[in-house]
Amino acid sequence: MFWKSTYNELIKIAYKPRSYIGIGGITLIIGIVLFAMKLEGKYYISLITGQLEQSVSFEGNILNGNLIGFIILQMLIVHVPLLIAFVTGDLISGEADMGTIRLLLTKPISRNSILFSKFLAGCLYTAIVVLWLALMAVLLGRVLFGSGDLIVLKSDGLTILQQHDIVWRFVYGFGMAFLSLVTVATLALTLSCFSENSIGPIVTTMGIILLFTIVGTLDVPLFDTIRPFMFTTHMAAWRCFFDDPIDTAQILKSSLILLAHIAVLLGIATYKFNRKDILS
Amino acid sequence: MKNRTLIHYALLLVGLLSAPIAQAQQTNKLLHRVSAKFASVKDYSVDVHIKVDMPFLRMLPINAKIYFKQKDKFKVESKSIAIVPKQSFVQLTKLIADTNSYTAMQQGREVVNGTPTALINIIPLSDTSDVVLGKLWIDDKQMVIVKSMITTKSNGTILTTYTYDNQLAYGLPDVMLFEVDVKKFKIPKAVAADINTSQATTTKDDGKPKKGKITITLTNYKINKGIADSFFKKN
Repeated sequence: MFWKSTYNELIKIAYKPRSYIGIGGITLIIGIVLFAMKLEGKYYISLITGQLEQSVSFEGNILNGNLIGFIILQMLIVHVPLLIAFVTGDLISGEADMGTIRLLLTKPISRNSILFSKFLAGCLYTAIVVLWLALMAVLLGRVLFGSGDLIVLKSDGLTILQQHDIVWRFVYGFGMAFLSLVTVATLALTLSCFSENSIGPIVTTMGIILLFTIVGTLDVPLFDTIRPFMFTTHMAAWRCFFDDPIDTAQILKSSLILLAHIAVLLGIATYKFNRKDILS
Repeated sequence: MKNRTLIHYALLLVGLLSAPIAQAQQTNKLLHRVSAKFASVKDYSVDVHIKVDMPFLRMLPINAKIYFKQKDKFKVESKSIAIVPKQSFVQLTKLIADTNSYTAMQQGREVVNGTPTALINIIPLSDTSDVVLGKLWIDDKQMVIVKSMITTKSNGTILTTYTYDNQLAYGLPDVMLFEVDVKKFKIPKAVAADINTSQATTTKDDGKPKKGKITITLTNYKINKGIADSFFKKN
């Protein structure tokens, strides 16, 4: 019954036009970035290497598909949560808004199963978005710009990774990005349990991400104690896979914190959904 | 008697005045011989192993191939991203080849890595020259440059140490160690999209100029085999 319910949720997601906003948005943004890089990529590269090129010169294919994929991933990872929240913030509240939740809860399936099937469907949708992002950013980038060594950009330095040492980093990096986005999806799903319309949870999710990102970016000692516990701090943990040497302790810590967020948020969602009065 | 004394003084004066000219001529001759030795190499290709040790940059050593053709054609072929000192392969040989473009003075003698050398200062005559000052440590027995320090307007100071072995006859080194000036490195966070890196976690910069080292090991020289000019045209 649980799997059937999950399948039904996936069908519902597939039939909603908003589910394609994320995929369409990613396609459009990546298309624009690839076009811009094809035209002005060398200028972008000069912004990065220019400071070192006063003393040394860089030879080889710097502007390659791997670098493009990396740039797109780090640009989009800030915006993809919004696209995920569009769908997952609507999973419960959308039913309440349309008045179908009463019908849904009359089915011979527990509320917990309904909630977890919605969560699983949300995770699958997130996985599809991440896969599409990987396909467009890295594969299309490689087709258009070729392959080569990757210059990992950091605000205080550069790390050059060799071509043969990159693919597995992207695989794990996208895996970590998936975990981050599932955290966002769970947050939106939890907020969705508290609302009777879809806009509220989506806007609140984005508000929380925005607030946490600002707090995380501000170099103010006051926030030093809370910063390590905010999920937005660990959403950039995918970058750790592009460090040399890899900071496995940081990856493990970030994974645990994100998983803890998912568990706590699911706990709140379960508590709220089980006690929810169906008034619509 | 008086006339003889005057002649002695005149000869002494001429001797004193002509000594620096003679020394300068000798220095120019030495540079000319070094340049002539290198000029016997019309072109070459060589396999290189590049090891970079620079602040703000992490990378593994890479292999590449370098092509050179007189006077200043230079190309690096590499599947990986290669970092080479700017203009260093070409600049020095090009500079010393034109003895009319600079004033050379021997400052003394020094021993570099066990090799006795003549220390020569080079000052370009043109105001527009990128090179401000050149210091060359020349092994005047083998007629090769053992060490050089070139200060340029655009690239700062580059200190290079050369080690010779198999291609000593052509004046081509087997190992080159470059030490370059590296200025402060900072990419805007918006470009790096490194939003979660706080200043506390980034490398502290003490404001002092940093030195970067690049070691290039050259093997499998192919000298005077003929390389077409078109090969050096950029794609």
